[in-house]
Formats: sequence, structure tokens, C-alpha cells
Amino acid sequence: MKTVLVIGSGISGLSCAISLAEKGIHVKLASPFPSERSQSVMAAGGINAVDADNPEDSVALHIQDTLRGGRNIAGKEAVAGLCEAAPSIIAQLERRGTVFTRNAEGRIDRRAFGGQSCKRTCYCGASTGKQIVTALVMACRQYEAAGLVERLARADFHSALIADGRCYGALLFDETTMSLTPVYADAVVMATGGQNALFGKTTGSTACDGYAAGRLFLQGVELKNLEFIQYHPTTLETPQKKMLISEAARGEGGRLFYEKGGKRVYFMEDKYGEGGNLMPRDVVSRCMEQAGEQVYLDVSFLGAETIGRRIPEVRDLCMKYREIDITKEPIPVSPSVHFFMGGLAVDLSHETNIRDLYAVGECASMYHGANRLGGNSLLAAIYSGQKAAESISGRDSNTTAPDFTAYVKDQTDAFAVSFDSKSQFPVMYIRDMLAETMRQHLGIVRDKSRLGTALHDIEYYLSIAERIRYDSSVLAYFNYSLTGILSLAKATVLSAAARKESRGAHVRSDFPEESEAYQAASVIACKDGAYTIRYDKEGRYER
Amino acid sequence: MNVKIKRQRYPGAEPYWQTFVYNGPKDITVASLLDEINYRDDIVDIEGNPAPRIGWECACLQGMCGACAMVISGTPALACETFLRDLKGETITIEPLTKFPVIADLVVDRSRIEESLKEADAYIRDYKPSEKIGKAAQKEYELQYQTAKCLKCGLCLEVCPNYRGGERFFGALFANDCYLIDSQSGDAAPEIKNVFDEHFAAGCSKSLSCMDVCPMKIDTIASIARMSRK
Repeated sequence: MKTVLVIGSGISGLSCAISLAEKGIHVKLASPFPSERSQSVMAAGGINAVDADNPEDSVALHIQDTLRGGRNIAGKEAVAGLCEAAPSIIAQLERRGTVFTRNAEGRIDRRAFGGQSCKRTCYCGASTGKQIVTALVMACRQYEAAGLVERLARADFHSALIADGRCYGALLFDETTMSLTPVYADAVVMATGGQNALFGKTTGSTACDGYAAGRLFLQGVELKNLEFIQYHPTTLETPQKKMLISEAARGEGGRLFYEKGGKRVYFMEDKYGEGGNLMPRDVVSRCMEQAGEQVYLDVSFLGAETIGRRIPEVRDLCMKYREIDITKEPIPVSPSVHFFMGGLAVDLSHETNIRDLYAVGECASMYHGANRLGGNSLLAAIYSGQKAAESISGRDSNTTAPDFTAYVKDQTDAFAVSFDSKSQFPVMYIRDMLAETMRQHLGIVRDKSRLGTALHDIEYYLSIAERIRYDSSVLAYFNYSLTGILSLAKATVLSAAARKESRGAHVRSDFPEESEAYQAASVIACKDGAYTIRYDKEGRYER
Repeated sequence: MNVKIKRQRYPGAEPYWQTFVYNGPKDITVASLLDEINYRDDIVDIEGNPAPRIGWECACLQGMCGACAMVISGTPALACETFLRDLKGETITIEPLTKFPVIADLVVDRSRIEESLKEADAYIRDYKPSEKIGKAAQKEYELQYQTAKCLKCGLCLEVCPNYRGGERFFGALFANDCYLIDSQSGDAAPEIKNVFDEHFAAGCSKSLSCMDVCPMKIDTIASIARMSRK
């Protein structure tokens, strides 16, 4: 019987674990936190799927919108698979008890979302991700009770067990016992989310830090499209973070404006007409940056009743954290880092360049090209988990794992030496400095000079990180994850510097046009400490 | 203001209280306050003694994940949505949840919650949508939607006079999950009624304090009523 180690228990990890268990495969589902703490619960707006009863919409249009929104570098075959599977994924989620918002006829309702030619975003109020997590946790519980899924709680990823281009398991760290444990498996699926920590506090979870992708990169796993970082146009500044104002607010009719000479300027509508407020996120964020004024989002004209029924979470969030009554006043908004189109490079079955090592959900780079459409990330999280499970189930079990005893001992000894030392330079300061560097130099608009400064800064932080001793004032995880996070940041900056064009979420003031020469995914690899970049024109990963 | 925090370095270690001084604005949350103390150059307590950084759990920082559940000035609450301006007095106290084992400082092990739900086989066996129509359907949808937002944060268990570590009585979050399963299973789920009786109804003294502290404002009494009518 096969055993698969799934690392991360948000929606993509749950989706993969459930699909594997359905096929009778044993799953070890490892994560530092329960599924309820995953970033998936924060996904607000919805999940895209064509309504078969809507004569104006079609799967072909969904594919076209996704490819166009991603500025034509996502794989056509990959995107077609995603969009074709969407309607059955919605039906499956419904059967699992997801509480979708319904229309007057009792059918699943759909709302308008950015960059889409039809209303095709199914939703659960403004807490779609949370509602799906609740349903999938229950579905997974059934397999836990049957002994097919075993949850490994408080398990942090440390590194993969890789030999000769093949993955045999992973080393996991338990903060409560301060111990490293090797877990062997026939396949390993990474479902660790995006790399928020590169930018400090983003709209997402503080627990998604990108360490796993960074560490795997140093272990020889290729990364893809790192330069494409989505700035969500509408976030609300609060003392503790920038909070997402769901795209659903604009899907319901919300209008963006700034004030000039005492008058409201509806700049998106002026530039793009009626649908201007629902242009793809990269376009809206760029226009807001160009406006150079405080932008507001107005939904007050919808009325208290509609707001209460359709976007109550937006209303509550604004009142709770800023005492703004959105039924009466506009919301001051600004763009903020929200989603990473880049991540671990995977092929159509979601396998990396290391055999038996897979990646799903936001930590994998797939489907979204240079810019993701709202409503496609929840879809991709579920679909990618299923795709990986399908591929794994068709594989034979691993041959006997090579002997990793020496590797495990080396890592354990390194920990012991580290725990005995004491740092004068706290880890969290370096993470804060990194976030400052990334925010300053990897914003919505980039150029050669800023990227050069960022690279210089990150190399300096890396040189400190290599010499740093153990900072006992924070968790051990924060200590050992530092180099991986910094390496991922360096790879991101190098990828942004190499792409000498503007495309989707990657905007270069020194190369303002899209260039055919770069119409492909970037792939970055690390060998013996050297980083090399190429463009995947032959479709090794996504086609 | 003074911030008095119950500390514990590791599982099983002796707990102790440590007080810090905070003189900043009060329109921030307890989560921001903990960040503020943790990111000072030198963390010292009120007597000037160096102090280790305060362990606490967070993820979403906006009341959507339940990670930062703790006891703030005597009331179980989420740190990320409890504002200093709403707390009385010049000293606030912060303690870990008391119904769960402490891992470090304000971080507790809540795995018992999931264990209980697993023990009770709390999942939908055969999905059957509600056959209600019109206003009744809308009411059902609203209760299901609200109930499915349960964070499993444990605040309802912390405040409950009947919950003692989940040996037999599983608390309000379990009652709500029972309703969610039952209302989506047609008549196909007699098992869920049985486990509801065993692990909730038999132990609940209806203090309903769980509803006062629920960050999602779940109408637990409605869930109980629906399950009890069966």
C-alpha cells in the first residue's frame, strides 16, 4: 500500500489528501497548524465555474479570460484542464456540504469578478474560502476516522529527502520536542501556500512564509515565474496589517474614485468604460499607482440591505478596524501584496523536476501566468490537489529508500550546535529588513536600479544569516527558516531583473512594453550555489 | 498602561507573571500590542529585567482564523480584534486559554478539539440538501452559513462551565457541527443525533456563555433547538 506525505493542510492539501484517500492511498497530512488556521479561510470572493445553463458563457470563454488575464504565458492545456473541471468541482463541493449562496430559484448564484466576460464566480457570501475549508475538513475527517488519513500536528517542514533526482520523504521539525523526524513516503506533496513573509505582513497569513520553496530551491528544485507578484488593488490600512477588501465589493457594483478639486474622478470608468472597476487586478493596481492620489471605493449607494446580504464581512471589517460605515461613506483603499503567481515549477501532473515530489495550491506556479484572475485561486487549489493525486495513484510504489541516516544526523547535529549558541542579531530584525527591501524595491513598478539595490541588500542579509548564531528569543523554526526565505527573495529579485519587459503584474519603468522575446515562463535553478535563469519556451512545465 | 502576562517557557514549566509597560495609543488591538512589545530593541519588564519574547500564535490577524484566542482581562477573546480602548483599568492581564495544555506562554495545544470531532464521527455521510423553500430556506441557509464559520478557536469551551478537557462533553462548537451535518443530511443521519445527545445534550447546563464570547456570533441556541427537536 502506498503512503503519501502531504505537507500543508489548507484547501489544496486537503483536496489532495481527500482525493488520495478516496483511491485507498494512505496519507500523512502534516502541518504546523490545523486547517482552520490556514490562509485558505481568508479567501473571500469566490470560485469560478461556468454555469452550463447560461447560454452566454462557455468553458472556452473561461479559458480565454484566464489566458488573457495571465497575459498569455500560462499553458493552454493546463488552463483548459482547470476550466473544464470547474463545474464538476463545484458540484462536488456542494455534495460535501459547502454552503453556497443561492439565487431566488435555489440554484448556486454567481457574481461578476475582475477580468471575466460573464458572471461566473460561485460564492459563499464573502467567506467562500472558510466555507470550503469547513466542508473539506469534514470530508477529510471521514478518512481520518477510517484510518486512511493521519494528521501529523505541529509539524514544520525542514527539508526534503532527495537522492539522485528522486524524493523519498521529508524531514519534519516539532517545536514542542525540538526534534527532527524523517518521514518516508512514496511521494511528497507540498501544499505550503505563498511566500508572504518576503514582504512582511501582506493581506494573507503570517504563517505562509515561502521557506519550503526556498529550501527546496537550494535542494535542486526549480522555481518558476517568481517575478509575478499580485498587488490586490483594494486593501484597507489598519495598525496591524493591510486588510483585503474583497473584489466582491466591486463585483456587486462598487466604484473606485479619487477626489480632485472637490469632485470625484471615477478614473477606471473614465479610462475603460462601464466595466472599468472590474478590470484585472494588475491593471487596476497600476492605474491606482499612476493616479498618485488617495483612492476610495464606494459601495454606499448599494444600500444597507444589499450590503448586509451580499458583503456583510466587508461591512463588519471596515467598522471593526477603522470605524468606517460603508453604507454611508467610501473606503480608503490602496494596493497591497496579495498573491504569488510564481512558485515551485511543476508539470501538468503537478510534479516538480524531482521525481515523486509534487506541489499544489499557491506554492506551485501554474495556470495564472503573469496575473491571476479573482476566483481562480480556490479553483486551482482544489484542482491541483486532485491532479497530483491522480498522477500519484498511477505510479508504482517507491523502490527502497536509500540510506538517509547520515543526512538526518548531520541536520540534527547542526541543530544541536546551533541551539547551544546565542545570537547578538535577532532573526526577526533580518526578516523585517528583508520585508522593507522587498516593499521598497519590488513594488508595482520596478526598474534596474531598484532591483540592483534589492539584490545588494539581500546578499548582505544572506551573508549575515550564514554567520548568525541561534536567536533563542524566537522559535527555532524562525532561526532555521531564515536562509531559505532569503534565498527565495534573491531568486525573486533575479527573476524580476532578468525579465526586461512589462507583462501582467511585472511592470518595468525601464522596459514599459510587452516583448515577444519574453512570452514564456521564467525558470530559475540553483546548482552549487549558482542561480541560473531560462525561459520555458518549449513548455517543459506548462503548455 | 501595565500589561501583565502569564508566562510559561515550555510545556510543563512553572508558569509565572511578568508585567510590561505600554504607553502608546489605545486604538490598537492586543495583537498589535504583543507585536509592539516583541519588537522592542530590548525587551525588559516593568522592573527593567530582560525578558524573552512573548510566544503567541497568529495567522490572519483579522478575526478569521482563531489562532490568537486567549484570556484578556478575564474574558476569553481573540487578540486581533480586542482593542485596548475597550478594556477597563490601567492594567490589562493576558493569559493562555486554561482548558488546554500550554506549549509556551500564550500558545496552547488545542488538538483535543479535532480529536473530539473525529471520535464522534462528525461528518456528512450522505449529502441531501434541505427541501425547505422560501423564507424557511433562507433562514436555514443563514444558520448554516453562520455555523460553518466556526473557527474551532476554543473560546466557547474556555468559558463553558461544563467543558472539562473534552472527555465526554464536547461543547458548543460540537453542537454547531452536529446541526451543520444534520441539516445537510435529510433524514439520513440518525447517528449524529445520538452523538449530539451523548456528547452535548447530556452535559449542557444552558448557561449559554458560549454565545457571548463567540467571535463569529454563532447562534448556538438555534443549533441546539434544531437538534433537540429531532
